[in-house]
Amino acid sequence: MTQAGKGRKIGTVLTGLDSDLLARLLSRALRRGGDYADVFFEHKTVQSFRLQDGRIHEAGLSVVRGAGIRVIVGERSGYAFSDDLSAEALLRAADVAALIAIDGARGEPVIDLCVRHAPELYHAAAEPATAQAFVDLLARADIAARAFDPRISAVNANISEEVQFVQIATSDGEIVTDLRPLVSFGVQTVAKNDVRRANGYFGDGGRTGLGVYDERPPERIARESARIAQTNLDARETPAGEMPVVVGAGGGGVLLHEAVGHGLESDFNRQGTSLYSGRVGERVASDLVTIYDDGNLPDERGSVAVDDEGTPGAHKVLVENGVLRGYMQDRLNGSLMGVGSTGSGRRQSFRVLPQPRMCNTYMPSGGSTFEEIVGSVERGIYATSFSGGQVEISKGDFVFMVAEGYLIENGKITAPLRGATLIGNGPDAMTKVVAVGNDGRLANRSYTCGKGGQLVPVGVGMPTVKLASCTVGGSNVGG
Amino acid sequence: MSAADMRDEALALATLAVDAALAAGASAAEATLGIADRFSAEARGAELTKLEQSRSRALSLRTFVGLRRASMSTTDLTPEGIRALSHRIVAAAAFVGEDPNAGLPETTAAASDDAALGMVQTDVAARDPQAKVDDALGLERAIRAIDPRIDNSRGSHSSDTVATIALANSHGFRGTYRSTSASRSTAPIANDNGEKRIAHYGSAARGYVGLESIDAVARQAVRRALAICGARKPSTMTVPVIFERDVAASVLSDLFAAVNAASIAVGNSYLTDAIGESVGSPLVTIVDDGQLSGALGTSPFDAEGTPTRRTVVFERGVLKTFLYDTYYARRLGAATTANASGGGIGPNNFYLQAGSGTLEELIAATPRGVLVLDTIGFATEYASGTYSRGARGLWIEKGEIAYAIDEFTISSTFRTMLAGIDAVASDLRFDGSIVSPSFRIGEMTISGTAR
Repeated sequence: MTQAGKGRKIGTVLTGLDSDLLARLLSRALRRGGDYADVFFEHKTVQSFRLQDGRIHEAGLSVVRGAGIRVIVGERSGYAFSDDLSAEALLRAADVAALIAIDGARGEPVIDLCVRHAPELYHAAAEPATAQAFVDLLARADIAARAFDPRISAVNANISEEVQFVQIATSDGEIVTDLRPLVSFGVQTVAKNDVRRANGYFGDGGRTGLGVYDERPPERIARESARIAQTNLDARETPAGEMPVVVGAGGGGVLLHEAVGHGLESDFNRQGTSLYSGRVGERVASDLVTIYDDGNLPDERGSVAVDDEGTPGAHKVLVENGVLRGYMQDRLNGSLMGVGSTGSGRRQSFRVLPQPRMCNTYMPSGGSTFEEIVGSVERGIYATSFSGGQVEISKGDFVFMVAEGYLIENGKITAPLRGATLIGNGPDAMTKVVAVGNDGRLANRSYTCGKGGQLVPVGVGMPTVKLASCTVGGSNVGG
Repeated sequence: MSAADMRDEALALATLAVDAALAAGASAAEATLGIADRFSAEARGAELTKLEQSRSRALSLRTFVGLRRASMSTTDLTPEGIRALSHRIVAAAAFVGEDPNAGLPETTAAASDDAALGMVQTDVAARDPQAKVDDALGLERAIRAIDPRIDNSRGSHSSDTVATIALANSHGFRGTYRSTSASRSTAPIANDNGEKRIAHYGSAARGYVGLESIDAVARQAVRRALAICGARKPSTMTVPVIFERDVAASVLSDLFAAVNAASIAVGNSYLTDAIGESVGSPLVTIVDDGQLSGALGTSPFDAEGTPTRRTVVFERGVLKTFLYDTYYARRLGAATTANASGGGIGPNNFYLQAGSGTLEELIAATPRGVLVLDTIGFATEYASGTYSRGARGLWIEKGEIAYAIDEFTISSTFRTMLAGIDAVASDLRFDGSIVSPSFRIGEMTISGTAR
């Protein structure tokens, strides 16, 4: 048996499907016709430990292994998958995927496959982490969070290490393999006084090994979580209404992801259902706004050496000085739009079809200092980071939940605020960007993006940015 | 494979996993094996755009080594694979702290009969795949035929699932059940003078026989898309707010999180110390019921094999109980309410009891206010019980719909919202595991433009 693809690094060697079998599956999938077929095989292992009430609460292990077979005919996709990796079961899946080609028998084409490994992009550990290493990190986080403030009444922490081996065989004649590490460390805290409780959360991780927490220690993550809970406990109600908003560097990048990024995914644009459809070359934002999406940043959470269709990850210019430059393409939509894939085809697992998705979305630094930006606001809000956001991409309306926010009065940051949300319209907000800071960076925090029920890890980043006005949702109308 | 064979295969694998865990050194174990055959078709315009059909299988295994717990899930169902993972997870348990409350349920009754619970509709497996594809294509035709302003869509879907669940544990529990479900949904886009207004609507039931017709689904979706055309931003104010059925259910989802015993145990709920207190208006009676025949959240037993039951969570505004699995019940000194679900705590059928009158009558009885059709965002602070969402909907003036509004937020606290429910409609339908009739809250803050 020839091994079509091997996972290198990270101690264990994971193998994919046999290359002769892959060739048979692709021929079988195309026997009724069709423009293109591929097989996506994955073997993903996630090991995790959870801490609650000052002790290790639970150990977890998850294995996702299976293969999906896709046939594309024009804009139609047929799909079937199997967790049973016998040739018989996989050939049955190929037959089901082939049903989308309605025009009938063509005979099985001959497919020759050659192997290509994904470029090196991640700094993974040589060996999987020991259970002791996980529990030591959790214990350190617990101690640090409780020591930060006696009002911290509960600490929940979770750490996981994932290794995903993927093997993608295409009817273009390639077998591409990649071995993707992913670590994630999240600490949730509750602060409590006589009248209220408040939450804090902070997470950190990336496509690397557990060793990353030597440089970015668990104490730092835990204290940051506890500091946010403490700030929120002391926070006052947010004034409601329209006002200038300063969005913080790093985590503020959620704004780009939601307000612009989703609207530039090519499925919506090919179908004409995004408000950015047909607008490449047009001005869509203030000329201070440049937005990139990059799958190639070493170790970042949203990076992919190759995407889930075997296309190398890439640096994409989405918006340049306010002008829309292009969309994020997967294979299907890129081919139908005549531009090809941009390495943006991603999927949650072998059970679902890929979609055009973001990787690491960010805005490069501009020319203003943080002090100049805050100093220019007479009365407004400083949102350092968001706990999440959502967008409706046809009209572009968005909502962001502020994880940590402050009032700005007379150019000074004053009281912390709780429960603030920002609501607005993506293109409208982008025209209101009136200052961009010189402090651009990616957020350390672990973000996960959901689309059509599929979750994928992503990265976001931004310098400090000022919006001339935005609607702030709060419960204090009189404020 | 026949239904009986499927149950046998699922139970054999679950039993094998329990045995593998014990052989690896576990003192107790519980395995759930799920098999689901899923069909899904998507159409856009006149074209069938996606056709997906597969069987998925997954095993989840909880093991206990004395009072230490470790769990795993896998799609590798080979006996060697299951044995190898069992060894790994039992080894990992040595690093877990001892927890006096860890363990399987004390007693587990024999499984009840899924047929009596209306969980299987034979039309799901019997329906011709072409008819299912035609449903999706028919929805696309129907939304475009209703109004010329509908000039695009995000696609229409027709999908169904036939599932088999088997549960085995080392106390000797063996149970299986089967269930079916079907759904159809669409997402028309109205051209509102160049702006795109999208709306979603769908129907779900145990089988095709229980679904709303193609025409009814299309009409409801188009009505929603057209209703929000010409929307303007309202000014910031405090007014009565009506939550339409689907949005009302999303409020109940947040409330479920606040009565989830796992949140209570860590103090992450504003209701932590509120048992026996009146925390809602007398119209607030909220029930979790796993035995409702034909409803989508119904099953004979929960994820730990505890027979499901009917639990009154809020009675006329008074908080009666939290919802528990075995672990959190022991930890908080209560009894399980059969809400164990996928390693945590989940709803059976969690619903607000219906009131009287239609949504239209509720609107007519509201002199001035907002009808919320859709919310976006998920800003709920469970510890403090604050609620805030982006919203769009309709402005009500003198009991009639006046115009559409969007780009505003609604915010309040759950305490104020529950206490403020002053009318509940009769339009409750069991088309999900958390459902609600439309209701009105007497006063909420909406934030839009400055006054």
